[in-house]
Amino acid sequence: MEAVVSENFGEPISAGAAPRTGDSGELVLRFDSGFDLGRIERLLQETRERGGRAPESVCTLNLIAVYFNEQQYEKARAALEMAGTIHPSRLIVMIGDAPVEQESLTVRASVVRSGGAITLERLVLSATGRAVRHLESAMTNLLRPDLPRVVVFGGRPHGDLMKRAVEMADRIVIDSGARPPGYLAETASLLAKGAPIGDLAWARIFPWQALAADTLDLPNLREHRGNIRKARVACAGAVGAEGLLLLGWLQSRIKRLEIQIQAEGEPEPEDTGTATPRAAPMGLGQVKLLELTAPPATFTLRRDKGILYADVKGDDDGYCANRVRLPADTPGRLLALELNLLYGVDELYAQAAQAAARLLPQVPR
Amino acid sequence: MPYTSEHDEIPNPLRAGLRAESIPEPCAVVIFGATGDLAHRKLVPALYNLAVTGHLPAAFGIVGMAKSELAQHDFVRGMRESVGKFSRTKPIDGEIWADFANGMRYVSGSFDDPNAFARLRAALEELDKSRGTRGNRLFYFATPPSAFPTLLKQLKGAGLINPPNDSRFTRVVIEKPFGHDLASGRALNRLVLETCDERQVFRIDHYLGKETVQNLLVFRFANSIFEPIWNRRFVDHVQITACEDLGVEGRARYYEEAGILRDMIQNHVLQLLCLTSMEPPVAFDADAVREEKTKVLRAVEAFETPEQVARNVVLGQYTAGSIGGKDVPGYHEEKDVAPGSRTPTFVGLRLSVRSWRWDGVPFYLRSGKRMPKRATEIAVHFQPLPHSLFGEGATQPNELVIRVQPEEGIALRFSAKVPGERYRPRTVSMDFRYGSTFGAVAPEAYERLLLDAMRGDQTLFTRRDEVEAAWKIADSILKVAESPESPPPNPYRAGTWGPPEADQLLAQDGRAWRRL
Repeated sequence: MEAVVSENFGEPISAGAAPRTGDSGELVLRFDSGFDLGRIERLLQETRERGGRAPESVCTLNLIAVYFNEQQYEKARAALEMAGTIHPSRLIVMIGDAPVEQESLTVRASVVRSGGAITLERLVLSATGRAVRHLESAMTNLLRPDLPRVVVFGGRPHGDLMKRAVEMADRIVIDSGARPPGYLAETASLLAKGAPIGDLAWARIFPWQALAADTLDLPNLREHRGNIRKARVACAGAVGAEGLLLLGWLQSRIKRLEIQIQAEGEPEPEDTGTATPRAAPMGLGQVKLLELTAPPATFTLRRDKGILYADVKGDDDGYCANRVRLPADTPGRLLALELNLLYGVDELYAQAAQAAARLLPQVPR
Repeated sequence: MPYTSEHDEIPNPLRAGLRAESIPEPCAVVIFGATGDLAHRKLVPALYNLAVTGHLPAAFGIVGMAKSELAQHDFVRGMRESVGKFSRTKPIDGEIWADFANGMRYVSGSFDDPNAFARLRAALEELDKSRGTRGNRLFYFATPPSAFPTLLKQLKGAGLINPPNDSRFTRVVIEKPFGHDLASGRALNRLVLETCDERQVFRIDHYLGKETVQNLLVFRFANSIFEPIWNRRFVDHVQITACEDLGVEGRARYYEEAGILRDMIQNHVLQLLCLTSMEPPVAFDADAVREEKTKVLRAVEAFETPEQVARNVVLGQYTAGSIGGKDVPGYHEEKDVAPGSRTPTFVGLRLSVRSWRWDGVPFYLRSGKRMPKRATEIAVHFQPLPHSLFGEGATQPNELVIRVQPEEGIALRFSAKVPGERYRPRTVSMDFRYGSTFGAVAPEAYERLLLDAMRGDQTLFTRRDEVEAAWKIADSILKVAESPESPPPNPYRAGTWGPPEADQLLAQDGRAWRRL
């Protein structure tokens, strides 16, 4: 099963159903050797002033995205735009395609206007061949001062470029769900060193966490809070990072918890578009069931299409205690959720990821 | 699995540190006055938007109840039209609406007919079965206050009010006005609390659901730079304005009874005063926040004599004028306004908050109808410089303006040097705009408040003693203003900022209202 998940390895945070509001088009500059930062700034200014005097530009953070080819960025583009508009940003995209022999340097500038202001200033810096070496220093100079720096990437760090980008970041957002679960060990070791990592896979299990906690808050179920002995997670088609993080979270919250994780059934087929963004179909490796055993009660949280159900069974026949509609967890929305936290470590995630990494030997192969 | 309160002490191991928002328990919302304006324009569109944003439990239902004889499908169709018109998210999502509408029921009947409440009970029980609402009820009184006693009696009679500790929750949401004066406010509270526990009562003031009003708490208590200067040593005075360009808009019958003091001051404006001047709460929870707000209201000096009222309060009533280039009628020309009506449509007043923090700092409040424009804001005026280096009158005192609506945001006004060789200061504004700084669309006030009520969070709802303390302040003015001996309200032309007497109120202190 891991081989199937592995196909996703290195994929960037992919595009979601993000609206593209008021994109005023791109202006492009090409350089022969090295970037001219003054010209890039003027290019951005020109983009801002397209169609008249530039409106106010608001920025709450520097969002830095690193990709290794144009296709990766195109997949992520809508998600970055959505998140970057919800959290007004200067978005600097670095595309470093080193394997291409010919050296080239290109800059594309564009803005997104919303509510009478510019809410996203976007600079896409592309380099091929040896010119890739210029990307990082150019990016550093183009950052807006005094604003938090968040680095987004989907694949593994590639060489020095990524290393330095990560070192200067206030926060790094990854998507463990797009990697084989084994890479949670790498993440856990970085977290143990205090790396301020955020994870879309973690944001994807928020509804499961909320429903589990809410169910134990129901007045007639509170008696079971102190009695949870076992947790079982089933993932669609293959064990994925979300399932491990969910179990890791439970293990870090509940002492002496017996755990079990398994793959079950298949992922859901792709959905057709609707007026309002929906919960994405359950993907490969995503959580489809969480069962908590607190004798004599059993709590079963299960996902059926876009709905999460919380079933409770005790001495009786059992009943559905709650059911909630899953939010539209497009990558853009998930990234926006992660950008709510701009500095420091999400302790709960760090504990969960480290516990999840310890569960890896139990992952069925 | 029966409920016993001893288990409340076992902490929820999964709750700590969660970043995920909790979803309310399954429930049914019962709207009394379901054919009215509030239900159509605000409540149902707000609930629909909560469904769109994934904040409603899937096990959810709405029961509308009103006198009008309506078939269920007509009620649902009417609501769909209203949601299409008033929802902030458009167009209506067919799939979400279909599920939302499946949980809608309508019960027609008079509020004093016990049989109607038996039918309501049956509708709720049917929803429990078909939608899994599990016996949890939120009763929303979108009716005139005169209906409250009957509704409470009937709900109790029909066995629809569960005790506060029951595993199935019962909550009652009450719309303002919470009474007509202090005595009736107290009587209403007594009546409500004969049927429900205070923990089950949600007195709604929709101003508290506004993002910018909530932001006031964040602004004050999440920044270290403002709190040290937020007191009598640095603040000269505070102005709170809540004005609108609209008149009574067909609500003259209500307005004739209420007037500006009951309609705006006793609730919205005093709430803004509370949030501006309260001490930091010990925790961000319902009890702690409401405790601090209540302390402010208790510290406000109520007026004891007609002379005090005359010195500190200016009432006004609009006459015909022009707003936005259009003629508008005077208050007396509005439909349903009694001939010779003395109902005030404007008030300007000076209040003192007798506390260590604010003693000696006047709070000027103004609110009115048919003003030149709609504007709600809080302006904190800081002390003038003790000595000006750049010439007398060359600088203006700093101002911090919190705009509640429109163009929600915060502006800090300070002096900067005009470019050139000389040191010429000029007041400039550093502006934060809520709408453009955050790309996310803010939920409507009713969305936030309905969600909180379903979650059982009372932080943004007013408490019994808070309401009564606010009435005490309003009452001290009303008693004088409504006595036959008092002069009629001062006339002001529609489209102006109130009567000239309001300007004099500040002028006698050497101050002026902010020009908006």
